[in-house]
Amino acid sequence: MKEHKVKNNNKTAGMSIIVKTITRLTIGLILLYGIYILLHGHLTPGGGFAGGVIITLSFIHIMLAFGKDVAFQKLNKSWSKIFESTGALLFLTIAVLGFLGGSFFTNFMDKGEPFEFLSAGTIILSNIAIFLKVGAGLFLLFIMLVFFKIGGKK
Amino acid sequence: MTYFLSFILFSIGIYCILTKRNILKIIIGIAILDYAINLFFILIAYRTNGRSPILEKGSTIKRIVDPLPHAVVLTSIVIGLAVTALLVAIAIRIYEKYGTFDINEIKELKG
Repeated sequence: MKEHKVKNNNKTAGMSIIVKTITRLTIGLILLYGIYILLHGHLTPGGGFAGGVIITLSFIHIMLAFGKDVAFQKLNKSWSKIFESTGALLFLTIAVLGFLGGSFFTNFMDKGEPFEFLSAGTIILSNIAIFLKVGAGLFLLFIMLVFFKIGGKK
Repeated sequence: MTYFLSFILFSIGIYCILTKRNILKIIIGIAILDYAINLFFILIAYRTNGRSPILEKGSTIKRIVDPLPHAVVLTSIVIGLAVTALLVAIAIRIYEKYGTFDINEIKELKG
């Protein structure tokens, strides 16, 4: 409800009403497709990098259509910094936990049945870590390049 | 024979880097060079009549393409993205400091 009010207040921000309506329809589909690619990375082509790029593209889509205020309500700059660092630390933690099974990056979890959803041990967790790193990093890259300003230091 | 295509693309990238004076065109040349090398790796990985190296339920492995260069190229694409973003950021800084993208007019870099 709150976001809806903001959208109505900022009628001048962003693009025309056609673009806004189409974006409101398609943004959920893009997000769902990205989550599907992310979670099925061990069964089909895709994985953390591709899923992260698609999910971030949905946020960039919101920013291009509605302006930066609406997009920053959904994903803040400081939060995306926290997500990026969390992704790197999570990936390192999974790699170090491999010492439980013997060596670095050992798949210590239960492998399960092949071709099932829960089947690949630590691969799903690694994909989610890579998604956090790549998605938040790409979003930060976009907003840094768009709102680039030299803050008085020379 | 098919490798010749990626060599042509590589030469276009080298030509673009060496002869153009605009920084943005140099960045585009570096990107073309990146893609030429990626294409070369993918062409090396191809086997005749090979299918994609994905196991599915009930399928048997007969002839698949080599999956190792695919993994290497995936990493290479990520690095190419980061390098392009770094170059664009440097280009923006140069434009804000000198007001031009022409590398001939940036006098303070010389000497």
